Amino acid sequence: MRVLEAVDVSGMSRFNPDRRAPLWWGILGLITIESAVVLTFCVSYLYLAAYAETWPPTGKVPPILWPSINLGLLLLSSFTMYLAGQGINRGDKRVLAIGVTTSVLLATVVLVLRSLELMAYEFSWKDHAYGSIVWAISVFHYVHVTSIVVGSAVVAILAWRGYFTRERQIGVVVDTNYWYFVCIAWIPFYLLLYWVPRLYVG
Amino acid sequence: MTLHKAAEQRDIIDSPEETAHLARTWYSPRGFPGWFTQVNQRMIGKRFIITAFIFFLLAGILGLLMRLQLAAPEQQLLGPELYNQFFTMHGTVMMFFFAIPVMEGVAIYIVPLMVGTRDMAFPRLNAFGYYVYLIGGIVLFGSLLLGMAPNAGWFNYVPLAGKLYSPGYGVDVWTTMITFIEVSALTAAVELIVTILRMRAPGMSLNRMPLFVWAALVMSFMIVFAMPAVIVSSTLLILDRLVDTQFFIVESGGEPLLWQHLFWYFGHPEVYIILVPALGMISTIIITFTGRPIFGYTALVLSVVAIGFVSFGLWVHHMFTTGLPQLGMSFFTAASAMIAIPSGVQIFCWIASLWGAKIRFHTPMLWVLGFFAIFVIGGLTGVMVASIPFDTQVHDTFFVVAHFHYVLIGGAVFPLIGAVYYWWPKIIGRMMNETAGKWSFWLAFIGFNITFFPMHQLGLEGMPRRIYTYADEMGWGDLNMLATIGALVLAVGFGITLVNAIWSVSRGRPAGTNPWNAPTLEWATESPPASYNFRHIPVVESRWPLWDWQRQDERRVVTGLRNDRREVVLTSVLDASPVGVQVLPGPSIWPFASAVAASTGFIGIIFHPIFFVIGFFLVFFSLVAWFWPRRPWRND
Repeated sequence: MRVLEAVDVSGMSRFNPDRRAPLWWGILGLITIESAVVLTFCVSYLYLAAYAETWPPTGKVPPILWPSINLGLLLLSSFTMYLAGQGINRGDKRVLAIGVTTSVLLATVVLVLRSLELMAYEFSWKDHAYGSIVWAISVFHYVHVTSIVVGSAVVAILAWRGYFTRERQIGVVVDTNYWYFVCIAWIPFYLLLYWVPRLYVG
Repeated sequence: MTLHKAAEQRDIIDSPEETAHLARTWYSPRGFPGWFTQVNQRMIGKRFIITAFIFFLLAGILGLLMRLQLAAPEQQLLGPELYNQFFTMHGTVMMFFFAIPVMEGVAIYIVPLMVGTRDMAFPRLNAFGYYVYLIGGIVLFGSLLLGMAPNAGWFNYVPLAGKLYSPGYGVDVWTTMITFIEVSALTAAVELIVTILRMRAPGMSLNRMPLFVWAALVMSFMIVFAMPAVIVSSTLLILDRLVDTQFFIVESGGEPLLWQHLFWYFGHPEVYIILVPALGMISTIIITFTGRPIFGYTALVLSVVAIGFVSFGLWVHHMFTTGLPQLGMSFFTAASAMIAIPSGVQIFCWIASLWGAKIRFHTPMLWVLGFFAIFVIGGLTGVMVASIPFDTQVHDTFFVVAHFHYVLIGGAVFPLIGAVYYWWPKIIGRMMNETAGKWSFWLAFIGFNITFFPMHQLGLEGMPRRIYTYADEMGWGDLNMLATIGALVLAVGFGITLVNAIWSVSRGRPAGTNPWNAPTLEWATESPPASYNFRHIPVVESRWPLWDWQRQDERRVVTGLRNDRREVVLTSVLDASPVGVQVLPGPSIWPFASAVAASTGFIGIIFHPIFFVIGFFLVFFSLVAWFWPRRPWRND
């Protein structure tokens, strides 16, 4: 059987910093899976709320100021992440390093604020189903913020060492996408934990 | 795609040095430390398949022991506690540690060959998924040996599975092992999706993709959307058991039914996660053994996709006896009946494909024909239990046991064994014995029906499932004895295939490249394939590339991939035109280390919550080591 050359790929790019890269799709897969987890937590919360006589059981709604500030900080950190990515798209390593570091610091502030807030919760996860689901969602998101902080800290270290370039930046791209996910995931949780009891308790 | 004009096409002549260089580049390390660093998809796929079949054997033995216990009334072979552990282990292992991993294993081995590439998108993640699965399975069986196996059934209902009614470590082990299998299944699913969508051979547009690849794609998407529900439910349960949360405790506002909703929202698609790849195997085998294109390719693809969607709307039919609102129940009855439509489309397309064809009745084809008989019976009883009044009557009886063994063994295991006979020559390079294969099929087919058909009657007579014995006066003794005899015949049938497989590894007739004259790409390379899968990435021009090549006596390939590192072609999602080249990573110990780190966390939390933190940071450090860029940063 004759074997003929039909396509020559020797000139094609070996660095694919965008959605051509398998890793871009891989992180999209992880985000899809985790979005389904987020959704399932939301459904569980609403299911428990729907069958409860009073929600929350004490009738006392949780304070809303600090969670709102956290929401703002998370969205701001997404924006600095975005600026960092724009920087490396232009080949500007300095903007990348500063941007990622700023995001890590902002998210660290969120962790500190959340820790204070969790310590001030007036109920334990052992008290009632409401306490259990609020704690579970809070800790779930807290762990995710922790993981983007430590993961992006590694990206920041590599960025300061000048590892990333315009074509070799898939690491930044996937880290940024996951960062967006963790920040955006806070929106449904925020609405559930802090707004649903206000609108629902009536 | 930039195809060269015919006049410009250049003949390709391979030099042996270049081929040897390529083989070294893709070589998997052997020996003791080497085994833990292998990442090639064929190695990982083979391990998944072998490990899953070992679990199938062990869980099958548990099933046989249960059948012996039930053979006659009031026997004392197994006590009630051991019997509870056995049926829980049998169900859990068959569903989570055999059915899902074996289908994934076949897909991991076959799909990259079928789409004409050299490895999967994330080779190291593949290895990680395997180690997690292996460790999970070993711990689960270890718990059985220590007498602390889970005993609350494979769907582990609360409040029985709560701390109050199931003290001890059994249910903790179950919950943790489910986490292991979730992680493993999800990694394989993402891996398969990305490989199928981005790494197909140039020219293999979606409408030319082999049906098994379509099935693997649908299976993977189903895993991605179904598994998260069981992640959440098993997390909530382990929290209830370990740190006293109140999710399922009624007194504190918890809801036991939440468990059932979350579990079956996963658990029903799970059944189809097992069935869908089997449908792909059946289409593949029918095409090859009729020797002509399949009837209704588009209808078959659409119906597999439809099964994937509809299967997410069926879960409540497992909960008809929980007192849900009438309207909801009616909706789920309709949805349950609706799944018969795409399933029917499949069956009719296959019948049309077989109609008037010169069928070669080799062993793989026999298993497929066996599937038809058994699966249709299972489907009919499925339509029966979709009706609420009937379901209320037979709920938790042996009728249900009969039904789901018909659909699961008939729907998944028979096609799977057929697929083993079909692809074994490719994987091992030698044929399995045909005579033994036919004996194996007929014994399994007859044994299966003798075992499970009487259970319909037992269920109608009121014999509940999950009882370790029954009184003589119930009159269930004869049919149970018959079922036990059938189970032994069934076991002999499967046993012959096991012996046949082991025998063929050293004694079977050499298979050659394409022993069945099949049309798909996995048969375009040597058996077993070389370390690099394909010497040249093929270019595809129809659904049946190998038959084209035979007719034209020439074929087209991709050139320009380097021999000194692991390069694969990336193609576009819809029409598979080449868009880039990806350099894949080679062997590494870090997937194994990460799996050990994750296992330390998962298993540790059974004993102390601090292991969550320990596991988190161990995994973090091993992942950093895994992904840390190696110098030189720019290697060309």
